[in-house]
Amino acid sequence: MVSLPLPQGTRGPQPEAPQGPVRIDVESLSKRFAGFAALDDVSLIVRPGELLALLGPSGSGKTTLLRAIAGLAPAEEGIVRFNGVDASTLTLRERRVGFVFQHYALFRHMTVFDNIAFGLNVRPRGQRPGKSEIARRVRRLLELVQLSGMEKRFPAQLSGGQRQRVALARALAIEPTVLLLDEPFGALDAKVRKELRTWLRQIHNETGLTTIFVTHDQEEAMELADRVVVMKDGKIEQVGTPDELYDDPATPFVCDFLGDTYKFQAVARDGVAHICGVDIPVDEDIPDGPVEAFVRADAFEVVPRELAEGAPAIVRSIRRTGLGIIATVSIEDAESHLDIQLGREMVSSSEVSVGATIFIRPLVATVFATCAASG
Amino acid sequence: MTLDPLQIDRTVQQRNRGRTKSLHSPVGESIVVRGLLIGVSLLFLAIVLLLPLAAVFTEAFRGGAGSFFHAISEPDAQAAIRLTLFVAAISVPLNIVFGVAASWAIAKFEFAGKSFLITLIDLPFSVSPVIAGMIYILIFGASGWLGPWLAEHDIKVVFAVPGIVLATIFVTFPFVARQLIPLMQSQGTTDEEAALSLGASGLVSFFKVTLPNVKWALLYGVLLCNARAMGEFGAVSVVSGHIRGLTNTMPLHVEILYNEYNFIAAFAVASLLAILALVTLALKTALEWRYSGELAAASGH
Repeated sequence: MVSLPLPQGTRGPQPEAPQGPVRIDVESLSKRFAGFAALDDVSLIVRPGELLALLGPSGSGKTTLLRAIAGLAPAEEGIVRFNGVDASTLTLRERRVGFVFQHYALFRHMTVFDNIAFGLNVRPRGQRPGKSEIARRVRRLLELVQLSGMEKRFPAQLSGGQRQRVALARALAIEPTVLLLDEPFGALDAKVRKELRTWLRQIHNETGLTTIFVTHDQEEAMELADRVVVMKDGKIEQVGTPDELYDDPATPFVCDFLGDTYKFQAVARDGVAHICGVDIPVDEDIPDGPVEAFVRADAFEVVPRELAEGAPAIVRSIRRTGLGIIATVSIEDAESHLDIQLGREMVSSSEVSVGATIFIRPLVATVFATCAASG
Repeated sequence: MTLDPLQIDRTVQQRNRGRTKSLHSPVGESIVVRGLLIGVSLLFLAIVLLLPLAAVFTEAFRGGAGSFFHAISEPDAQAAIRLTLFVAAISVPLNIVFGVAASWAIAKFEFAGKSFLITLIDLPFSVSPVIAGMIYILIFGASGWLGPWLAEHDIKVVFAVPGIVLATIFVTFPFVARQLIPLMQSQGTTDEEAALSLGASGLVSFFKVTLPNVKWALLYGVLLCNARAMGEFGAVSVVSGHIRGLTNTMPLHVEILYNEYNFIAAFAVASLLAILALVTLALKTALEWRYSGELAAASGH
């Protein structure tokens, strides 16, 4: 549990609403919890108006970073700047951060209407909009989050997805300068999750706010975000667009975490590494010696038997998907069975059938020198 | 050992199934054993709880309604009732403030010495009320630490109303805090964080979010606190001095009447306390029934 920073000087004048979306600079943030580094010298630039995902496994520091940016749990070292202004000089009210909590944190004793109006009702008298103005704004927000007619309900009477949308409307009611979401879809079932994902993208496009969300779901991050920050052990592993992360992962961890990849141990010699019976060229800066190679599940192809190339694999099972098939195969080099995705043309091929031995080879692989630190 | 919630769930399901479908469920006891156990418990309850309660009212009305009303309307009894209400009216609100403040600090903030504070709050439960009274004699009594200074300034604490109030506050101190701490801890700080991030000040967040979230547990704690404040005997007995019409609370008045063999009057006043206890219980049950979900997180005593 953390201590709550109490805003001071809340009667001070409200700063002018900044024009346009806000740029956030995170400079060398560090924070320790009971001996371990939750944030370790993290620096990051969030571009104005972008939708940024903080992605990482649990304990990677992504939520800590989000809370530090929000000012809910300030870091011990480092600075967060909103449009160049050191945020630690601003009160929570002045930061105007719309924060959506992981479990929504809706006020259970208030109706949907009162929840959304809360941020407006608690403003000092001089800045508080009139009753009818508040009602008008709440109704508009309810429309935006598609919950019109629900204003008299209590949070307990809503579904998970509806609560999430109320939480978002409540955060938007204070006319935030940035929108921060902590695991926004974490507690929802798969279908609602998908719907809300599209819808969050729409909201982002409509409001134009600089938006940061935390997720441990790589698919969610890749689909939704303009750029993704991959974190591990309190450090940033890589920042980039989904394509950049996918095509050019910076570390073995990123490669592994972005999912559906298989790791092979190999040895690099003379600029190539022998993986699955194929010589894959490796980058020049990788010295000869043991390497780790990552191959994506959709980057395998079946080699016609007569070529006798690639690695022999025994087909254990076949699952059909709309786009093609997923074959579970076992080969000698790999630690476990591989689920490889094959195109539709392979389905008709009689070669791929359960129990048969086929030859597979990777089309591309990402190779890193094996070092003690890499996982 | 940790308990697997699923496991518990399953056990409960099995038990329920046993009750509804078969009297000889593999996990339940046979009907004879169950009947015996229930019978013994009921008998025990009747002897220990119901019989004395019935006895109080029977004895109170032994001389008819006339002597009952005479007993509770004579001046000394009236003074005792007034004093009891007065003491409760001071100590209960103070303990609400102390209890809410203490549990707020404990549940929502991290600070050094927190576990010591929790232990300290429990102290009145573990200390005999007589000792609680003795403490105040030791501090405020004529030969106590502050005794001479108080005598100089003509302030009477011991054997006067202030002493009774102090002793009552001490004894009832944990009731509100004990009720609130587990609930507040289980609720965590996210609601407050949400309020602050929406621009509420700390005070607004406390009154609009924190307090409403615990209002039923608070009411529950206040009921228990009030019942104990009115019924406290040991600690109050030590500091009161038993001055009739001045420092006699209802429980003390009952004792005096009883020692004078004035049984009807003693039981008449006692029956008022019993009625108070019953009303408290009824309210508590009504609250539990109505707000069982919200109270679930707060463990009772």
